[in-house]
Amino acid sequence: MIKKILFAVLWLCFLVSPAFAAINVVTTLPWIGSLAKEIGGDRISVTALVKPNQDPHYIEAKPSMILAARKADIIMYNGLDLEIGYLPIIIESSKNARIQPGGTGNLDCGQFVNVIERQGSADRSQGDVHPMGNPHYHLSPSNAARVAAGIADALAALDSGNAALYRANLASFEKRLESKKKEWYGKLRGKRFIAFHKYFEYLADDLGFRITGYIEPKPGIPPSSGHLARLVDSIAKEKPDAILTTSYNGKKEVEFLSAKTGVKGIVVPHDVGCQDGINDWFSLMDRAVGSLR
Amino acid sequence: MKYLISFLSVFLFSFPAFAEDIESRMKNLEKTVESQEKAIAEQQRVIDGLKGTGAALSPDNKTGRSSGGLIGGSALSNPNISLVLDTFFYSSNLTSSELEGWTIPGYINEGIEASKGYNLESAELFIFAPVDPYFNVYATMPVTEEGVELEEAFFVTTALPDGFQVKGGKFKSGFGRINGQHPHAWDFADSPLPYRAFVGAEGIIEKGVQLTWLPPLPFYTTLGIEVLQGDNEILFGTDARSGPHAYAAFAKFSFDATENSTILFGPSVATGKTKTGSIADDTEFAGDSTLYGLEFTCKWNPSKDRGLIVQSEYLSRKQDGDLTDTVASTTERLERKQDGWYAQALYKTGRWRLGARYDALDVFQDDYILSGVDQEFDKSPWRATGAVEYNPTEFSRIRLQYNHDRSSRTDETNHEVFVQLLFGIGAHAAHPF
Repeated sequence: MIKKILFAVLWLCFLVSPAFAAINVVTTLPWIGSLAKEIGGDRISVTALVKPNQDPHYIEAKPSMILAARKADIIMYNGLDLEIGYLPIIIESSKNARIQPGGTGNLDCGQFVNVIERQGSADRSQGDVHPMGNPHYHLSPSNAARVAAGIADALAALDSGNAALYRANLASFEKRLESKKKEWYGKLRGKRFIAFHKYFEYLADDLGFRITGYIEPKPGIPPSSGHLARLVDSIAKEKPDAILTTSYNGKKEVEFLSAKTGVKGIVVPHDVGCQDGINDWFSLMDRAVGSLR
Repeated sequence: MKYLISFLSVFLFSFPAFAEDIESRMKNLEKTVESQEKAIAEQQRVIDGLKGTGAALSPDNKTGRSSGGLIGGSALSNPNISLVLDTFFYSSNLTSSELEGWTIPGYINEGIEASKGYNLESAELFIFAPVDPYFNVYATMPVTEEGVELEEAFFVTTALPDGFQVKGGKFKSGFGRINGQHPHAWDFADSPLPYRAFVGAEGIIEKGVQLTWLPPLPFYTTLGIEVLQGDNEILFGTDARSGPHAYAAFAKFSFDATENSTILFGPSVATGKTKTGSIADDTEFAGDSTLYGLEFTCKWNPSKDRGLIVQSEYLSRKQDGDLTDTVASTTERLERKQDGWYAQALYKTGRWRLGARYDALDVFQDDYILSGVDQEFDKSPWRATGAVEYNPTEFSRIRLQYNHDRSSRTDETNHEVFVQLLFGIGAHAAHPF
């Protein structure tokens, strides 16, 4: 009986072990997977732990994520403490030596970013602040380019036989990005927006518009009705071009403020896969920038 | 001459390090200047922003506020330190002495510990950090009014191949579900009756070694075995035998039933030598115990603002040995086969969470066989619980809980009310599923 069970387990192990040596990339957020795919092409398979409709601030470490991390050759993540609530335990529980911090299979994409809003010190009376800086850099062409270069280096280190391929893919990514920048840049210059969460600061820096206020009184703290009432007054007075949010939070508040003030509310797509037709980072950027016009 | 050579070689070895030191200092200085330039640019941006129209709308714009606390350290500082303050107000229709005598006859002779009025459960200190590329270390130190306890202090390996992991030191056994959770992560203020009856409210926390394996199967499976010292005062007992005398094994399986729901289940077993005075006053039991467990958890999280957790565990304990009356110095053979279970559900909506729980003992087995005669205890112990939680943020929790407690086999009911406050500060390790 025991022999039979053992045999069955071994057989299952054999069945699921990868048949050929493609690099198994696991990412936290879908957009990181998309950038990895741009660089890795057919040489890598990508699994994203977080679903595109989920709030990246509130993710629970599910056993299925641990299982995915168990099989990863490399784990790529946003960093800047965005995944602090679930990734450390996934990495430890995966019992996968390849992806432990400090190794070649552990890529913190935040290290390549020109971080803004870095705080020397902070405490949680200021809300759910990120003392390492604003972690929402993925809607920024300049930082996405840095991350893509970092991913290329990491893949080349992991799979040196195909290093040239990764560099070539990076070059074509950068070329495409340069031509896309011409479409994205300049169109929003000088616009003023109110945002629900500190989600669009990097994009504002790159594209030259301004975020002049927030609906959350403090990051991660939902607004009270009194706070919303005060916002109605100030928004009516200041007349920003629009009020921005994402599909996973603040929709109700933005609809309320929009109805009260007549200022347009915009749900900006926040990650690859969150709407039909957003299949990669470029289409995400196309839609995000387009939605702001 | 030898001295000279060794002196020189020491000098030579240390010199590059020194040069490197200067170099790294220069680099650090460069970095500092660079980051300050960035900070200045950033401040300029903020100032520009303030000059603009929206200043009144942005109360949290950076104003260089410095708290100097350790709270924001997170990944910047090692090790990670956090403190969880767990305090509650307790009220009951029973008197203090009745609460002390609120035992579970046939199971344990311990009453209810909470005192009426204000209670400080603990201020629990958590410390964790990687040691090196091969080990992580965790320590849990609840500070109570009685002093500091070392509840847990263990290492976990991170570099073993093929999905194996070793944990060692003092840790919460992987047996069952609630056993592995810290009290502040419980869904109610107290632990369910089967835990209280079979392992004590704190659960199986033991010195020992654990080996777990996560095989690369298409569905999540974790298998674990443990060799434990056997200190648990209810299930085992420090003096039951010298050396390690308890063993545990468990399996956990999980899969995502739908995109938003996850199911986790599995069996556990803990077995060992027992020597305990917890069965009845003025008695001591010595023998063998085996505890079986089955756990089931289903979590449904359609969005961050809504969710449902349904969780249940069934525990069954077999025990065989000698019960000595320490006053009369007589010994009889005692065989116990008893079981218990709980089922609970928690519904979350926004910052609120509603909880309900039912727990009971003597479900299918209620054997208490003393010298071959089955002792009859009537009125099987049971309890029903309702709770409301308000969670201002993920770092604070206010809980109101009511227990309709019929666990003491009498006609009396213990109507318990808890008002519990939980606060977490610092960089706390992520909780498992």
